[in-house]
Amino acid sequence: MNIRGVFIEETFAEAFTMRVARVIVTARSPRWAREAALKLTGFATSVIGCKVEAGVERELPEAETPDGRPGISILLMTMGKDDLPKRLIERIGQTVLTCPTTACFDGLPAAPDRLGVGSALRFFGDGFQSSKVIGGERFWRIPVMEGEFVVQEKFGMVKGVGGGNFLILARTADAALAAAEAAVDAMHGHPGTILPFPGGVVRSGSKVGSRRIKSMIASTNDAFCPTLRAITASALPETVNSVLEIVINGTDAEAIADAMRLGIGAACTDGVVSISAGNYGGKLGPHHFHLRKIMGGAA
Amino acid sequence: MSGLQAKLRAPLAAQADCAEVLAGAWSAVSAADLARRPVAVAGRGAVPFGELCDLSGAADGTLRFVGDWSQAARLGAGLTEGSVVVEGDVGNEVGVGMAGGSIEVRGNAGDRAGAAAPEARRGMTGGELVVHGTVGREAGALMRRGLLVAGGAVGDHAGVGMIAGTIIAFGAFGAAAGLWSKRGSLVALGDVAIPTTYRYACTYQPVHLRLLLSRIKARYGMPAEGRHLTGFYRRYSGDLAELGKGEILAWTA
Repeated sequence: MNIRGVFIEETFAEAFTMRVARVIVTARSPRWAREAALKLTGFATSVIGCKVEAGVERELPEAETPDGRPGISILLMTMGKDDLPKRLIERIGQTVLTCPTTACFDGLPAAPDRLGVGSALRFFGDGFQSSKVIGGERFWRIPVMEGEFVVQEKFGMVKGVGGGNFLILARTADAALAAAEAAVDAMHGHPGTILPFPGGVVRSGSKVGSRRIKSMIASTNDAFCPTLRAITASALPETVNSVLEIVINGTDAEAIADAMRLGIGAACTDGVVSISAGNYGGKLGPHHFHLRKIMGGAA
Repeated sequence: MSGLQAKLRAPLAAQADCAEVLAGAWSAVSAADLARRPVAVAGRGAVPFGELCDLSGAADGTLRFVGDWSQAARLGAGLTEGSVVVEGDVGNEVGVGMAGGSIEVRGNAGDRAGAAAPEARRGMTGGELVVHGTVGREAGALMRRGLLVAGGAVGDHAGVGMIAGTIIAFGAFGAAAGLWSKRGSLVALGDVAIPTTYRYACTYQPVHLRLLLSRIKARYGMPAEGRHLTGFYRRYSGDLAELGKGEILAWTA
């Protein structure tokens, strides 16, 4: 399969089941909602080292937020269901509670699994906190120097998918970066998905384990490193001199597949040789995103 | 319209205690069974509810009262479930001790709406009691949880002895609002006289009121306007003769 001269490899992205929470942060202005979101999603690229993967799903207009103020929808994802409440409590407590004018709400109200977040953060109020039940949901009012921080007591948790991906194999580093930027722009704000890496792009794709250190759970994906082509079992054609990866997490496989379709379509630009994907032979992750199947409509 | 309807056959000549009509589980009860529930009519004693009104419709957790129910006392006492709408006025003690569900009164309500029953230590412990018109004296007395809203003025001693919960008035509060409140919240969108046992804290924009006011506007059509959602409120803490964790939030502009 070729799209605008770019070869789509017969392979698939292998992804994992994760636990997801959707956090709605609102603030007096978009600026402060963004500031809180930036911190809330900071250092959250991979569970390998960050314990959580997070990103901005989309910006929300006033009409779509619980309190009628500008907001941002954020997805936070962990591998285990016990990890998610811990990550929510520490991150919302350190980054949203601290940010001027913000409030924090659950974005998955229909999820049957409910995590106590506001119920834990309320103790910062040192006994001066109070709560209100509004429409059957409890909201905590925590007094802070600026006024009050309002946070919902419980947040929903659902199963999601982490690790959807595709690789952009390009003739030059500039071409790879331009294609990656085009892909990220095309996927930006796609409902139900986040791109947890910097600017949505990964340059250091990893393989499971290490050739030399047994305790390492991941190390560089040498098969896709152009500088190692001569000394390793390279997966790169001769014309490829740079590879970038886009990782997509989401609330469900369909959302990820849709985002991949948009991203791959946009990444097929001048200087790109082929599009591939990262997998582990299909034995580790239950979700397989076959590139050609996904791009079936765009071929 | 779906749900049950209770249409008064003739105006009530005497006060009727309707506390038993919606006591316990009722949302799945048929019109015929509801008609058999007792109502204590002054001077007559207990009569079946169905003697006073025509009950029609199918049970779906909603009940609409049609007619002049201003002589009906204790309607929705101890309510735990369902949605009740009174198309006109209702008498004293509507929703006393209610614990869940909602009562929407599209006219005025008498005294002690949402308050504690005479034998009880707590008033409302949950649910929503929304009156589009005025509410009489001692509304929400000894309230523990829940929401009481008045579209018009509220009589004297609103929220007296409140343990917690919220009372919102679009009209003026009468004298001594929030007296002896422990943790209750009074939201005054009209005039309110701050009791001497409350102390001014600050003027700010409470975010939670945006949620609360938006909800009662969307669900009940209450006249919450942008100026109420985005406005500044003077916060008074009290009753300092009690626990002092209650508040009066007085809208300023």
